[in-house]
Amino acid sequence: MNLERIPNEEKLSLCRKYYLGGFAFLPFLWLVNVVWFFKEAFVKPAYTEQPQIKTYVKRSALGLLLWVAVLTTWISIFQHFRAQWGEVADYISFTIPLGTP
Amino acid sequence: MPRKTAFMSQWNQVTTVHASVLLSGCMNSVEQKIYVELNSTVPCVRLLNATHQIGCQSSISGDTGVLHVLETEADLDWILSTGPHPPYMVVMEAAFFTRSTMVKMKNSSRVAGVAVIKSNTGPTEGFSPHTSCPNQNTGVYTEHYGPELANCNNTVWNPLGNGLSYEDFAFPIFSLKDDNQTQVIRKCYEDHNMRMNGSAPQYPLCAMQLFSHMHAVTDTVTCMRRTDLQNSFSINPEKLCDPLSDFNVWTSIRPLNNSIKGHKENESVVIAAARLDGRSFFWDIAPSAEGTVSSIVTLLAAAQALYPVALEAPPQRNIFFTFFQGVSRGVKMHLKMPVQLIWSNYISFGMLKTIIIISSLWMHSDPVSRKNTTVNKQVANLVANIKSVASSLNLSLNEPSATQALPPSSFQRFLRVRPVPGLVLADHQASFTNRYYESLYDTATYLNVTYPSDLSPEQQLEYETEAAKSLTQVATLVARSIYKQAGGEDRFLNNITADTKTVAKLLYGFLIMSNNSWFSSLLPPEALGRGSILGLVITHIINTLTSVTRFVQFILANMTGTVTKLNQSQCQNPKDVPGESKDLYSYSWVSGPVSVNGTTDPYCVRSSVHLSKALSPAFELTDYGSREYSTWTESRWKTIRARIFLVASPQLEMMTLGVGVAVLLVSLVVTYFISSKAELLFSATREPPNTTY
Repeated sequence: MNLERIPNEEKLSLCRKYYLGGFAFLPFLWLVNVVWFFKEAFVKPAYTEQPQIKTYVKRSALGLLLWVAVLTTWISIFQHFRAQWGEVADYISFTIPLGTP
Repeated sequence: MPRKTAFMSQWNQVTTVHASVLLSGCMNSVEQKIYVELNSTVPCVRLLNATHQIGCQSSISGDTGVLHVLETEADLDWILSTGPHPPYMVVMEAAFFTRSTMVKMKNSSRVAGVAVIKSNTGPTEGFSPHTSCPNQNTGVYTEHYGPELANCNNTVWNPLGNGLSYEDFAFPIFSLKDDNQTQVIRKCYEDHNMRMNGSAPQYPLCAMQLFSHMHAVTDTVTCMRRTDLQNSFSINPEKLCDPLSDFNVWTSIRPLNNSIKGHKENESVVIAAARLDGRSFFWDIAPSAEGTVSSIVTLLAAAQALYPVALEAPPQRNIFFTFFQGVSRGVKMHLKMPVQLIWSNYISFGMLKTIIIISSLWMHSDPVSRKNTTVNKQVANLVANIKSVASSLNLSLNEPSATQALPPSSFQRFLRVRPVPGLVLADHQASFTNRYYESLYDTATYLNVTYPSDLSPEQQLEYETEAAKSLTQVATLVARSIYKQAGGEDRFLNNITADTKTVAKLLYGFLIMSNNSWFSSLLPPEALGRGSILGLVITHIINTLTSVTRFVQFILANMTGTVTKLNQSQCQNPKDVPGESKDLYSYSWVSGPVSVNGTTDPYCVRSSVHLSKALSPAFELTDYGSREYSTWTESRWKTIRARIFLVASPQLEMMTLGVGVAVLLVSLVVTYFISSKAELLFSATREPPNTTY
């Protein structure tokens, strides 16, 4: 969808939908929000809806960072310790690699 | 210019079509120009038990290494420390396949894999990859039963054993035959990898890649847990390992009713047993000539000799002929045989083990159970019976010293349950005389089963070798002793004689070629032309029609059964036929002699030969970490293959990659500039194309 062609109110409502949707454990919606609306929020000349779009984009970025930190930590721990955890790790794994402990 | 454009476009189309045809045609031959696939390779696979894994593993996309042929000690240093192109793929002759070399390679990170070139005869000093104390933790001698005999304190049974089969290697080990393919490998090595005047060889070098990725890891508990999880939760369930199981074969003189459960009091039986399995370091190749085949052949010949007389003049006690699987794995078979058998008050057990030469035969017994006077008396009685039969046959038979332990055998498993009088008949007094116990080299040649070269296969089948003659005498001894022990009368003993021709044919079939006319006539029609058995290894999943278990089953059925006039459908389901009983007998439809033009004349054989599943109780009780029962499993895998090719130096590879990336970046930049200046460059004579979305 090309943001140039839609009116500002629709842009705002779209940004809000993505922002709210991200709370349903969907950090990629926040990522899309940040990337898509970055130009609208910070680069374009000011218009009425822009401050609100700006807050939504900033909060989405914050949430995204938080998710990235949590996931990175958990993934690092799991990948490092999975072999040592033995039985517990097998029970929480979805796919267990073949031929390695 | 319109005309020129049209012509140009047509020419472009023709060129494009040509290029694609050439490309697809060349694809296969490009791969063939690079890689030489090696056929007929034998890998070493991974096995797991309750606590350990043994065997070999490669990475999932194969292990590649620069080839190096190991011929001297200097080569070993080159591979392990001084060579400049690690990791190396070691190709070695069988003489170097020793424990010290392999342990050094195991601890080194510069070895990517090993390929052993198998020679026809083993090293003269002997080679046995099994441990020096077979069945150490699974036998009868523990700290509670005969502690002075446990862990081979008393006698080391397999002194040549180096335990290689029970090591865990992190690289693949393959076995190659010494044939044209190996010559290709050597030539590649000589052309590219040889050192000139002490300096290192230059790239490109010859390399080999081995694929033998095993799915199971750590131990049986882990593997079975992961298999269960996969089956319950995954979208793509995969079994990671298979428990080792096969079937035991047994038969009895008086048929047992399979549908009756429970046991009779005071019933006594005589069991004559032999082992049915063998293994070696590599997968699915276990000729086990002296280790197993000799005892199978002897027991089969004894059964054939005994049956007619036992049917005519039945002895007091029932006689069982049994062939046990899983002896090399620590005797793990679960005897699903009729319960009367185990709980009889009186079992005499005669076990055949590695009979080869009869210049000296020894009768081994268990000194701990003989401390009980009743058992001692029964064993002494058994010994006396056998000795009296032996003297009439002019054979000499002795007992080893009274404090010597019982050799590893399935008789030990019986003793774990209760003290049973029995003997193990073997050709070794103390340690094994088999120099190639459970290795690749325990072949027909080692057993001296060789034929003059001018005989055709059919003539070889009938030819009586010296080994056949010796084994026939032992078979006669065994048959007469069992008959006497079972209470048969002495006047019938002389009628029991084993047939040398049968023994010769059995030896030929089990050791040289199982695809012969006699074996084929004893198997079902659908087994014809299926190929011959490679060795006596336990098959764990599929009970194929050409496995050793099946051969023994059908041969025993032929020797001890009767031909009936049932047709095929009646043979498969005889319950409606009067006089036939599926509970007492088993019926098999066999093909009969194959005539010249390939047609068969099948018939139905009724016998009391039965199979019982040899699966360890640990798997039925799902106690995968059991210490009481054996928990051996074999891993599964996807592909096993090997190939050789030339590799370039890593610097050249990096440079090629670098040049490619540079070309990519340059082309991106150039494209960007051209597209931004497109109006200037391409303006003059062309109309601008319509812009459409």
